[in-house]
Amino acid sequence: MKILVADDSRVMRQIVIRTLRQAGYDDHDIVEAEDGRDALDKVSAEAPDLVLSDWNMPNMTGIECLQALRAQGSAVPFGFVTSEGSPEMREKAANAGALFLIAKPFTEDTFKEHLDGVIA
Amino acid sequence: MTISPEQWLFSPPDTGERRRAGDTRPVAGELIDDATVEAIAQEAWISLVGEEEVLVPLPAELPPVTVSSWVDVVGPWTGSVVLTTGPATAEELTRALLGPACPPVVDEEEVADAFGEIANVVGGNVKAALPGPSGLSLPQVGEAPEVRNPADLVRVDVLWRGEPVSISVQGALPALPGRPAHPEN
Repeated sequence: MKILVADDSRVMRQIVIRTLRQAGYDDHDIVEAEDGRDALDKVSAEAPDLVLSDWNMPNMTGIECLQALRAQGSAVPFGFVTSEGSPEMREKAANAGALFLIAKPFTEDTFKEHLDGVIA
Repeated sequence: MTISPEQWLFSPPDTGERRRAGDTRPVAGELIDDATVEAIAQEAWISLVGEEEVLVPLPAELPPVTVSSWVDVVGPWTGSVVLTTGPATAEELTRALLGPACPPVVDEEEVADAFGEIANVVGGNVKAALPGPSGLSLPQVGEAPEVRNPADLVRVDVLWRGEPVSISVQGALPALPGRPAHPEN
């Protein structure tokens, strides 16, 4: 299984990848993207099985990336990992087709809670 | 006095506390308190920096040279959520965030990324505690934005590994005419 991790912060990408491993998802291929545009390109190029994306990024935000993916007909499972977890944003994410929204700060238990069932 | 539809729409619930006739814009202290800011910061530290990384709520003088990271919140309340500490502490925070993946030499870009990301997480959670709708900027690192209205400021001073760190929720706008620029005691 391949997971695409999109965040403009390299440090945060590392923390997300580390948390994935701590949560037990340590035998999956990880692909990194540094903004929404890069994520959009890499979904086409790498065909990931899941996208974990930040919301607030330069060039293209996470929600714009998700909307572009769905407009292109991509049904790739998509979840947000973002510092903003207000009810409005959760609703916006769900309406755009996101499976879940994990708010930062998170723990490995938060990851397990949202990813079990999505990742085999 | 008339209230514009925009002001009406974006007005937070009015508790009547610390408000006077003529007020149309809430200040930080009316919207969030020290304990909430401290709890948000503590949660961010435990998650990002490490489970044992406790913030001790003790005021201490920041070193003469400091570095800040912040995010801007734009909405019914407009301002910045600012973290300030000494450069050595910002570097130590970066090492702690990177953990075993930390390279032997940490460069400025990595410190800006890590320190900025902590401000992003703290700021995102502060934003969620403030009235919305509001937007959040990308994190910035450098010299902190100036405090333009001392009455529109919630500042928490803590120690991390014995080193001072301040967390400020500070308004971006000057005081309204007829409203004191200094907080009441």
